[in-house]
Amino acid sequence: MPTTYYIVLSFVLFLIGTAGVLVRRNALIALMGIELQLNGGNLAMLAFSRELGDLKGHVFAFFIIALAAAEAAVGLAILVALFRGRQTVNLDEATLLKR
Amino acid sequence: MTFNLRLIPLLPFLGAAILMLFGRKWKRDTVLLVAAGAIAGSCLVAVDAFFTALPAAASKGGLHDVVGTWMAAGSLKIDLALRLDALSGLLCLIITFIGFLIHIYSSGYMEHDPDYPRFFAYLNLFCGAMLVLVLGDSLPVMFIGWEGVGLCSYLLIGFWYSSSANADAGKKAFITNRIGDLGFLIGMFLLYQFTGSLNIPEITAAASGGGALMQTLFPGTIFAAPVAFWAALFLFIGATGKSAQIPLYVWLPDAMAGPTPVSALIHAATMVTAGVYMVARMHALYLLTPGAMAIVACVGALTALFAAIIGFAQNDFKKVLAYSTISQLGFMFAGVGTANFGAGVFHLFTHAFFKAGLFLCAGSVMHAMGGSGDITIMGGLRKKLPFTHGVFLVCWLAICGVPFFSGFFSKDSIISGAFGTEIFGEGLLWVGKAVGVVLMLAALGTAFYMSRLYFLVFTGSETRASDEIKHHIHESPGAMVGPLVVLAVGAALGGFIGLPGGLLDHPEWNLLADRLAPVLGPEMEVSRSIELGFMVASVVLALGGIGLAYLFYGGGYREPSRKFAAAAPRFVRLVQDKFRIDELYGLLIIRPIKRLAKGVFFVVDRILIDKILVEGSGAIVGVLARMARAVQGGDVQRYMAVFAIGAAGIVYLATRPSVPDVLKVTVSGLSVDVDARRGSKPASRVQDYSFDFDDDGKPEVTGAAPAAHHAYPRAGTYTVRVQVKDPNWGTSTSLKQKVEVR
Amino acid sequence: MNAGGATAVDQVVFWVLAVLTTFFAGFTITRRNPVTAVMSLVATFFCLAGIYASLSAHFLAVIQVLVYAGAIMVLFIFVIMILNREEVAPFSIRPLRVLGVLGGVYLLTKLVDVVGVGLPEAAPGVTPDGFGTVAAIGEVLFRDFLFPFEAISVLLLVAIVGGVVVSRSHQKEVAAVEAADYRHQIEELAHHDYPGEPEAPTPGHH
Repeated sequence: MPTTYYIVLSFVLFLIGTAGVLVRRNALIALMGIELQLNGGNLAMLAFSRELGDLKGHVFAFFIIALAAAEAAVGLAILVALFRGRQTVNLDEATLLKR
Repeated sequence: MTFNLRLIPLLPFLGAAILMLFGRKWKRDTVLLVAAGAIAGSCLVAVDAFFTALPAAASKGGLHDVVGTWMAAGSLKIDLALRLDALSGLLCLIITFIGFLIHIYSSGYMEHDPDYPRFFAYLNLFCGAMLVLVLGDSLPVMFIGWEGVGLCSYLLIGFWYSSSANADAGKKAFITNRIGDLGFLIGMFLLYQFTGSLNIPEITAAASGGGALMQTLFPGTIFAAPVAFWAALFLFIGATGKSAQIPLYVWLPDAMAGPTPVSALIHAATMVTAGVYMVARMHALYLLTPGAMAIVACVGALTALFAAIIGFAQNDFKKVLAYSTISQLGFMFAGVGTANFGAGVFHLFTHAFFKAGLFLCAGSVMHAMGGSGDITIMGGLRKKLPFTHGVFLVCWLAICGVPFFSGFFSKDSIISGAFGTEIFGEGLLWVGKAVGVVLMLAALGTAFYMSRLYFLVFTGSETRASDEIKHHIHESPGAMVGPLVVLAVGAALGGFIGLPGGLLDHPEWNLLADRLAPVLGPEMEVSRSIELGFMVASVVLALGGIGLAYLFYGGGYREPSRKFAAAAPRFVRLVQDKFRIDELYGLLIIRPIKRLAKGVFFVVDRILIDKILVEGSGAIVGVLARMARAVQGGDVQRYMAVFAIGAAGIVYLATRPSVPDVLKVTVSGLSVDVDARRGSKPASRVQDYSFDFDDDGKPEVTGAAPAAHHAYPRAGTYTVRVQVKDPNWGTSTSLKQKVEVR
Repeated sequence: MNAGGATAVDQVVFWVLAVLTTFFAGFTITRRNPVTAVMSLVATFFCLAGIYASLSAHFLAVIQVLVYAGAIMVLFIFVIMILNREEVAPFSIRPLRVLGVLGGVYLLTKLVDVVGVGLPEAAPGVTPDGFGTVAAIGEVLFRDFLFPFEAISVLLLVAIVGGVVVSRSHQKEVAAVEAADYRHQIEELAHHDYPGEPEAPTPGHH
């Protein structure tokens, strides 16, 4: 399959992730949206890697997966702390940034 | 010849500054020492300049002192320069000498006033400003003094500002003067435009030449008149404000709200004569234009008579003197207006003494009467206030023009000068005679109302006041009586400096005319018979006025005065109400202006400024703030959305094809060149251009070149459409422009 | 449809996986129940692993299943178990956010434009032998990217420590946050028209 198709698919994936992050109230689902975005990026990496015949793309995808794992760990830990503090994971109520 | 003239105004200014800064904490004696010391020092310098240095320089334009360049812009250069010649020197002597006496007098009069230092600071400031006015070598410098004395007048009229009547009187004086000052400014501008200078000697020189100042202004209209006429007229409007002439005299009677020494110094002896001084100073200009002279003379004469008539019925000591001052100023203007500049200045000099004396007597009497100036409750004060009575007697005789007192000589020289003047030519010959006749009537009136004042206040056996006041009556302290006596001597003998020498075959006896000749030209020759005739006539008038007043008021209100009041009650009432001129002005001028101001206030202040500008800008900030606050909600998702929108916007802007705002089209004949480059640099981006020269959807030229050439088959108006595509970003834009080919 | 030299099998595999991926991804973000969401996310990841394999990224496909569909998903499910709560209104659709999504769409179409221009219409030729295998990646990873590799392991360690610290129950901080919240509420009340203290009940009055 031509690389363009993979790229388009990766963008679609990224967009769905973005939409999830933007419109969902549940912080968990928002985190899942972020995972989707990362996977969109990964897909693009791999597609280009094949196009160019260069394995560096694979290495970066590998790093991104590791990063995603770290991000999920810390992000979920923050959610747990948030839940402990205010008994909710509703992002609309987590507006401490404006203080 | 240079002389350190700047010391003369500088000393009072320094005194004022020191008193304003430190006076509050000082003892009264220290304050007086500084204030009177400053003015005495200034007086000594003026005496030195006038008597020692001036004689040598008199024929060369007098003493001169350039402090520095005040302003220089293009061809306009104004020096802060002072000049002392016989005329300004005489004024300096009057101001500093009488100013000094009044400082001394004030130390007694204001003894118990809590604002003692402030009073003396203002008094010093006034003297400094007045000295700048008379010494100024150019009209703008004169104008500084002119405005400075106006300011001091305002400050001193409203000195007891806690009473709103006093503050209102101050404002009235200030605003009325502003109207006149506008005239003064316009006069100045006219002179600058047509002579190119504001320097008085240069204007005088230009006026002697005539030329530029005789051009006709507004030709073809009813306003057609030489420049000199308009300049002189506008300057005279300034003078009517400062010197309380018709129609701007209304402020002076109200100005009596100030302390009496102020009335004596500012509103009798010095400031109000500034207008007369100015006309004399600009005599070369006025001599060019008999029409303006006639206006000056007529206004002066009418004011003299009109104010005298109002003076008949006033019952306030100071009000009578105020109208008397207006009347006497009218005499002075009639004098300068009939080209008797020397006579006008002579009357200014004698008037300064006797009127200052009269006012200080008024202060002394009011001091004795517990502050009241109501002459209907006075009477019989001759014995209780012997010194004051003596001084008042001398000054009264002087102002009435009884022979050999000062007013006799000066008033007579004005009246005979008016009859004898030769300044008015064809069509204006009547002016001299008419002015003379009116002045004689005014002189009769003067004698009458002053005698009425004298008889009602000092004669009679009984004081008409309450017992409480009567018990309190006492002669004033030495500090007040001393200056009075000095002024009385001046009022009695001052006339001898201007003896009608020609009459006695010794022209050199007229010291004043002798001194003033280099400045104002030789004294007018009046034939001996005219002079003698008017001398007799004015003596008769003076004595007649006094006699008539004696019939009416000798020793108190007499039968004829009561009969007269009963016979014409409405007329008496009208005169008492000062012919209701204030009310007329209120109706014709003040009320429409107030209405206009209210309208402007509503439209400009309430709507434009308050609603639109102030509240509008507040509302805009509010809306913007609400928008900014919406973004700053602490909501991460919203931040992210804004970030996405911003990134999209940046990408949109960055990926549009690079095109100019307007196509560059060059037409030559039937062919056109179209350039779609943005700026002059070649674009680094690869873009596809398609040029459609007749906008029919079929491009004539396509390719990567940003410019194209096309020749139209025939003339006409075409629309050129250029489509620009960026193949890398898939964006495109089109530009359109109309081209006219001929 | 001709996709530039790809075999029919390739095409079928791609389209099936692509449609499934998109479907499950959309399902993930639209489910109200987090467990359903996380399950469809797992499905998305599996499909993606298939796509990775079709791109000759065999190693990455395996990693994807192991790390994402395995480790990360387990983490999610644990957390869901801790804080599982039904949502009343799961979507917070506001104009600004919709605009943000549209902005994202615009950005990506632009990217497609520019990427599409540089890419050939045809699929790349045969990949070299061993492309995407563990051996090949390991060679690149440990020869050219040794330092980033070690750095990533440090990052993971830090993430673990961070996760523990953040989610640990610490009473003091919680109390501080609550106090801050309380103060905030009082401030807000002070800005409103507060009716004042309720009146003390009068005895004998119900």
